[in-house]
Amino acid sequence: MSDDSGWLNSYINSLPERGWFQFLSKYVVVPFWVWREGRPKLPGGPRPSPQPSDNTQRMMNLLMPLKDTSPIGRAKAVMALAQNVDEIFAGLDNVGTVHSARFLLVEDYICMISVYDGDFSNYIRDFISTIGSVFDALMHEVEGGDKLYPSEENVEAFIDWVREHDLFQAPDYPFDLFGLQDEQAGRKPNDPPHDLQTLPRSLILQLHANRNISLGGGYRGYPGYSAAQIRRNLGVGW
Amino acid sequence: MAVFDAEKVQGNILRGYPLDRVRHMILEVSDRRRAREFLAAAADGTGEEVPRITRSANWSERPEFCFNIGITFEGLRTLGLPSDQLKTFPTEYTEGMTRRALKLGDFGESAPEHWPAPFDRPDRIHIVASAYANADHHLDDIEKKVAKVFTVLGTRDGRNLPDGKVFFGYRDGISQPRLRHVFDPEHAGDHQIKDPLGTVLLGYQTQLEGIKFTIPTPEDVFRDSAFNAFRVLQQDTEAFETYLTDAAHFLESHRDVARLLPEGAEQNIGGGMSRHDALREVVAAQMCGRWRNGTPYEASPNSDVQDGISLTNYDYSLSSRCPAGSHMRRANPRGGPIVQRVANYTRRMVRRGMSYGPDPETGEHGLLGNFIGANYGAQFEAVMCDWINFGLQDPGITGTNDPLLGANVPETSRFDLTLKGGGHIRLSGFPRFVKTRGGAYTLLPSLPAIRYLSQLTA
Ligand code: HEM
Repeated sequence: MSDDSGWLNSYINSLPERGWFQFLSKYVVVPFWVWREGRPKLPGGPRPSPQPSDNTQRMMNLLMPLKDTSPIGRAKAVMALAQNVDEIFAGLDNVGTVHSARFLLVEDYICMISVYDGDFSNYIRDFISTIGSVFDALMHEVEGGDKLYPSEENVEAFIDWVREHDLFQAPDYPFDLFGLQDEQAGRKPNDPPHDLQTLPRSLILQLHANRNISLGGGYRGYPGYSAAQIRRNLGVGW
Repeated sequence: MAVFDAEKVQGNILRGYPLDRVRHMILEVSDRRRAREFLAAAADGTGEEVPRITRSANWSERPEFCFNIGITFEGLRTLGLPSDQLKTFPTEYTEGMTRRALKLGDFGESAPEHWPAPFDRPDRIHIVASAYANADHHLDDIEKKVAKVFTVLGTRDGRNLPDGKVFFGYRDGISQPRLRHVFDPEHAGDHQIKDPLGTVLLGYQTQLEGIKFTIPTPEDVFRDSAFNAFRVLQQDTEAFETYLTDAAHFLESHRDVARLLPEGAEQNIGGGMSRHDALREVVAAQMCGRWRNGTPYEASPNSDVQDGISLTNYDYSLSSRCPAGSHMRRANPRGGPIVQRVANYTRRMVRRGMSYGPDPETGEHGLLGNFIGANYGAQFEAVMCDWINFGLQDPGITGTNDPLLGANVPETSRFDLTLKGGGHIRLSGFPRFVKTRGGAYTLLPSLPAIRYLSQLTA
């Protein structure tokens, strides 16, 4: 950046607040950027890590798009869950690695938010093998869910689908986004290094590919402990 | 359910060959037309110049050599499998071993970036062909035939060490899943629950309730195939033996050592040895789950004498003497208590391995391992990332890695030795003893699949 054109810089910096610019950005600039240098969608869920402390209390933010978003469709999804909620909770209990889980109905999605230990696909696979048939009822109300039926015979596709619909977790340090984008595009991360100034632009492009995201990996009140360690320390079995 | 026919299944999946040498040939398909002709001839033994694929069906006579092939995802693509069919293969296989590195503990010195040729170019690895024989000239002969059709990127030779041992001095090749519908006199005395065919082969019910893994398209062709994790695992024998000595020194003066090994028990270890040497053996035995001669530690914590002790029939419990952190308990917790209550017996795999080296120049040696199952995610990877490394199955070991082959660093490594009457002595400061030096995810295609691939036209 040269600094001999200070007025230009300050004008550029004020652009995001200017109405004409916002309009132009939304309908011309961003679509053009995306066309020119769009970012591939980044995968959902926590990233694999060699650090043991990163492997407990991992967060799932699963957004399942409803087939029918009318009150009737929403009610059907709620019923599919409500009728089976005991089985689902028992299933989560049997998986053994889940700290907490809950379901939300938000806008056009039914969401499953959970905190689990260890590998994502093991968690989902064990869950399906315990209560798959119960979850199938819900999947019928979800866009793209029919081709996963029955989940017990489509485990691989089911796991891929859940990962696909689990929110991308933006890195805790925003700068790390560059490396993830590089990797996803098959390049060596941060080689050459990125200019920090381009971070907002990269983020905008990423939010085009991943419309909803989790902001960072989330807060943990007792980091590094597995559900079983906590249960054991509380004297309530594993 | 499809009728099971062992003629359709490659021999290295369901049979342990009575042959002591192996040559794994890492191949690139440079001429796909000729590669297909080779596959056609190999499937049915119709070419003079092409070795016949060995099947799992019973042999009438003992073969002089055996021959099997595994194909990577890049290999399927290069052979011309159309993309709509390629899409039906599972993600782990599609990505290939190098892109699963973090889950497999392949980081640091074990990272794929450090793998020597030919494993530094995973995109070129299309086929891993394996020849087994007792005499080297058979292996050379097969390699010559293979090299006429494929580019041989590299080879890895393995052999059985005396007394069924592997480096680190343990007897190996004892535990193996027994499969329903498979005639297996070798493991007849093993009382562990039998596994359904779906544990290793595509197209059958698995041990996970209700779950069948997806057969790639076309299903009738790929049924009876299996997936293999081929691993080149370098063993640091010197570091391992040195650590045993250090640990024995530390233990000798430990106040609880008599509960680890009663005074006098050294008479019953290794045919009688010094207290120091016996303590080394105890550490080795607890790390593995077997004494080095194969006697299960769970069944016999104070003696390695095998008299009347079954090598396979025992189980783990909350008060087991075999540590939850031992290699074997991590790799197969049997019926013992684990956090993932639904997972007992569901992550088993077939293991076929031979030792390699020592290389005359570098001294490098280790294990050429094949870990075979119907689904990488549910078996090999599941065991590697949550059990071998990390130890999620037991709150007492969570956060620690397998003492034999985990991704350990001296600063954080720890392993709890169990004591008679409960409690433990903690060992720490050990390095990583096993490093990854290469490997590939390969499909071990059924015989119908090999024929099918040989007839592709694209
Ligand atoms: C160089 C590396 C390795 C060495 C030296 C090694 C050594 C051993 C030994 C000595 C045994 C006991 C013998 C037997 O029961 O047959 C064993 C068992 C076993 N190992 Fe390994 N191993 C290695 C790598 C692996 C890897 C990478 C895996 C994959 C997850 C694995 C999985 C198993 C399993 C499943 C068993 C049988 C446990 C049972 O059924 O009770 N091993 N290993």
